[in-house]
Amino acid sequence: MIVNKYYRASSLEDAYSKLQENPRNTILGGGLWLKKIGQSHETLIDISSLGLNEIKDSKNEVVVGSMVSQRDFENSPVVKALFNDAIAFSTREVMGVNFRNLATIGGSIMGRYPFSDVITGLLPYDVELEFYPKQTMFLEDYLSYKGKLNAILVAIHIKKGQGKGFYKKVKTTALDFPIVNIAVSRVNGQYRIAVGARPAVASLALKAMEYINSLKNPSKEDFAKAAEMAVEELSFLDNKDASKEYRIDLAKVYVRRGLEEVNK
Amino acid sequence: MLVTFYLNNVRVSYDVRPDEYLAETLRSHGVKSVKVGCNETSCGSCTVLLENRPAMSCGILSASIEGKHITTVEGIQEEAARIAYFFGEEGADQCGFCNAGYALTIYALKRELKNPTDDEIKDYIVGNLCRCSGMQSQLNAIKAYLKEE
Ligand SMILES: Cc1cc2nc3c(=O)[nH]c(=O)nc-3n(C[C@H](O)[C@H](O)[C@H](O)COP(=O)(O)OP(=O)(O)OC[C@H]3O[C@@H](n4cnc5c(N)ncnc54)[C@H](O)[C@@H]3O)c2cc1C
Ligand code: FES
Ligand code: FES
Repeated sequence: MIVNKYYRASSLEDAYSKLQENPRNTILGGGLWLKKIGQSHETLIDISSLGLNEIKDSKNEVVVGSMVSQRDFENSPVVKALFNDAIAFSTREVMGVNFRNLATIGGSIMGRYPFSDVITGLLPYDVELEFYPKQTMFLEDYLSYKGKLNAILVAIHIKKGQGKGFYKKVKTTALDFPIVNIAVSRVNGQYRIAVGARPAVASLALKAMEYINSLKNPSKEDFAKAAEMAVEELSFLDNKDASKEYRIDLAKVYVRRGLEEVNK
Repeated sequence: MLVTFYLNNVRVSYDVRPDEYLAETLRSHGVKSVKVGCNETSCGSCTVLLENRPAMSCGILSASIEGKHITTVEGIQEEAARIAYFFGEEGADQCGFCNAGYALTIYALKRELKNPTDDEIKDYIVGNLCRCSGMQSQLNAIKAYLKEE
């Protein structure tokens, strides 16, 4: 990575105006992905002293500042308390502690990575992104947004609810990227299914969700049918880690197990 | 640009490039205990403590640590010697390249986790790779070290 200047922003306004100055100016999160892709930047904008590293709990939602590290996120009692620890667990599946102490939640979302555990783990919940200048967007809308959003992610808002979650990352060794990842939730009686690393950024299986949510008391067979529908409506591809067929087989099994699990 | 931070509790100011990583800064100032294996935030050999938490120094931009505390193995000599003793007893060190990173991660583990299970220990050290061993000897050494207290 080549960087000409390093700028410590004094406020969100300051950071944003620096970002607009040059298309090669870039917001710095934990900087790990920026290092990996190795592009050159005119100015890196450090937003670490703007108070964006707090997790706030309220009656209806948990608000996570974009500069919260993955490790603080997964260890936060309020995040762990959400949906039987399923969201925190998905972040725990990323690399090791010495990595997650640096990587941020904001950086993990903004890149819309096709392999992301953090994004797949959040997608089946009611998650809104708060940006500067003032704008909010549901996570799923941000994932399908065309083009680059030249704004600063301030926080993510995770809505509370009654229910359970399930997360599965299939990987070859402990530190690998996922071959496929699956997150399923049942919150306030509604099922949601997300599948990522297909290898494409996570998507909701909307038809399968509609089917399973239309049933009063779904049976094991209904869950199996919803899992079939999910892999049919989502696209899967080959890459060096796994074939399309293998991914489909894995996703089918884990979507079914996830539905059974959150139904318990 | 000038960055001022605390290295093993001593205030230091170094002139760094905006794209310089801490592993390079520390090594160029003589802290050769910080080993660079992959230089891709994957192997953990460059682990230091950033505000007492294990972090890969090949992924930390030096400019980003203004005012922060960095600990290398030189800063925890007594405990590093104890950890090295148990590594020796269990045959957990061979070439030794991973050891300084391990020592810092284990030092932090002891302070962060109370009575950890084997799985919790494994999870904590998974980001420190050892190319020479099968990791079982490290696990045994860590358990013996934690038991000693
Ligand atoms: C070796 C390696 C292995 C990995 N393995 C996995 C894995 O198995 N599973 C997984 O889920 N993830 C994995 N990741 C991704 C990782 O978990 C992080 O998601 C990633 O590093 C981005 O987080 P960061 O804090 O480093 O962001 P940065 O690298 O700092 O930033 C990433 C992007 O987001 C932008 N950005 C950051 N913060 C903001 C903000 N507040 N507002 C606007 N834009 C912002 C940056 O400008 C940049 O474009 C891996 C990454 C690496 C380097
Ligand atoms: S050298 Fe830093 S993680 Fe490998
Ligand atoms: S002893 Fe050689 S890498 Fe660990």
